[in-house]
Amino acid sequence: MTYTIPQIVVIIIAMVLTFILSSRKFKSTELSMALAGVTAVFFTAYSGWTDEPIRILVEGLFTNMDLAMTFIFATLFIQIYSHSGAMTAVTRGIISKFNSKWAVMACMAVLMLIPGAITGAGSVSVFVMGGMTYSIVRSMGVSEKKATAFVFIFAILSAAAPPINLWTMLMTAQANMPYVGFELLLLLPILITGAFTIIYLGWGAKRRPKEEILAELPEVSEKMQGKGGMVRILLPLVALALMIVLTLVAPFQMPVLGLPLMFVICAVIALICDPNKMGFKGFYKLVDEVMEQVFPLAATVLSVGVLQNAMAASGVKGAIGTAFVLLPFVWIYALILIVAPFAQGCMSYGSAIVIGTPLIFMFNTAGMNTTVVCAAMSLMFPIGDCLPPSRITGRLTCETTNYQGSYMSFLKQVFLPCLVLGLLALLMLIKPAWFRYLI
Amino acid sequence: MTLVEAVIHYAYFVMAGIIGLFFLKGLFKREKHKGLAYDVVYAYCIIPFLLRILFIK
Repeated sequence: MTYTIPQIVVIIIAMVLTFILSSRKFKSTELSMALAGVTAVFFTAYSGWTDEPIRILVEGLFTNMDLAMTFIFATLFIQIYSHSGAMTAVTRGIISKFNSKWAVMACMAVLMLIPGAITGAGSVSVFVMGGMTYSIVRSMGVSEKKATAFVFIFAILSAAAPPINLWTMLMTAQANMPYVGFELLLLLPILITGAFTIIYLGWGAKRRPKEEILAELPEVSEKMQGKGGMVRILLPLVALALMIVLTLVAPFQMPVLGLPLMFVICAVIALICDPNKMGFKGFYKLVDEVMEQVFPLAATVLSVGVLQNAMAASGVKGAIGTAFVLLPFVWIYALILIVAPFAQGCMSYGSAIVIGTPLIFMFNTAGMNTTVVCAAMSLMFPIGDCLPPSRITGRLTCETTNYQGSYMSFLKQVFLPCLVLGLLALLMLIKPAWFRYLI
Repeated sequence: MTLVEAVIHYAYFVMAGIIGLFFLKGLFKREKHKGLAYDVVYAYCIIPFLLRILFIK
């Protein structure tokens, strides 16, 4: 079995054409990605590189199945939590406690960073804090577009933030490096980008009088006020935080629950804490609505899995990675800010393995500090979470905030903060010695 | 701990089953995303959940 470059180039062209044509015809990104994967597998089988094409496609559906389950049960938890009025109570509390616009935005930024930093997934930050952050930032006079951008930027920063950075973990595992010394290296660029984002998006926004904002928000039931209300609000979130922290600090005493089951447990707690008791019919209706609401996203991650598996089987994944890492250093520096985010858009976390690890070996042979290089690249990959074909976090943010504008207008709004993050990471990649003191 | 792990293991089968059933319902009756393209998407998205509850994969 020999993979030849012209054959792989033909497959890449066929995949791109299939994606474009089916996007136009069916207006469904999920189906277009799956069809592009089918095209790659068809050519793979036609070239005699596999005799089990259906197996490649079906196994691809399993690649991101856990992620799809996480999305579904996280949405269910948040919907049940919102049904209790807890989100409104927290929003009212923050608006009435803080008087400064900057203090509120900084507080929401820190809260957005926590879920993603602990789980390693920006989408979890959007699910847990996105809706609440959006409404609070909007009440500070920030426009719809800017508030959506705020949620997205802090979601991707949370994914890159320590202690759990999945791109770094994947690269270090493959390169036989210890996952040690990354905390400050990751945290400093995130703090700089975060501060820039708050100033850039909050500049010129005029906070309305506190009373006016509170009058527009829905009233909170009496049971959600006082000490009892505080318990109802905090218990589901504390339970979630506790389970995540325990899996990190006591891995041998804690059974492996997994994020989907954690969200199910929290949903049950939120259901018990809900003062507006739901009957079976009401609960079934809510679950049915959640399933329909979250289906396009679940379908997207499942289709991305098909695409990833098809790209691996057809040699496209390897060809792209090899072609890039064989370039001279100058070209790598010039192209990495384009290639790394787009690789993330195509291959999700696979980008760290296909492009990241070979580059670590390459920079190592040039005598550069691989810890700084690894941290720099893991700050570039999250930028691609808003790029096609998958655009998982970007799309999720737009759906959570119910953003009405075009996706391109959203991309334009997030461009500058992403560029700041990208340039900081590029500086770390070009001059790793300058950042060695942070290890 | 082994018992708890086994319970968690089966809980995931149940969770996959619940999702599969709702997707199956969505394939035939849904409010949003109507049309042939989403019929196809629903059809192939059921596959992993179906295989999981049948203990095939």
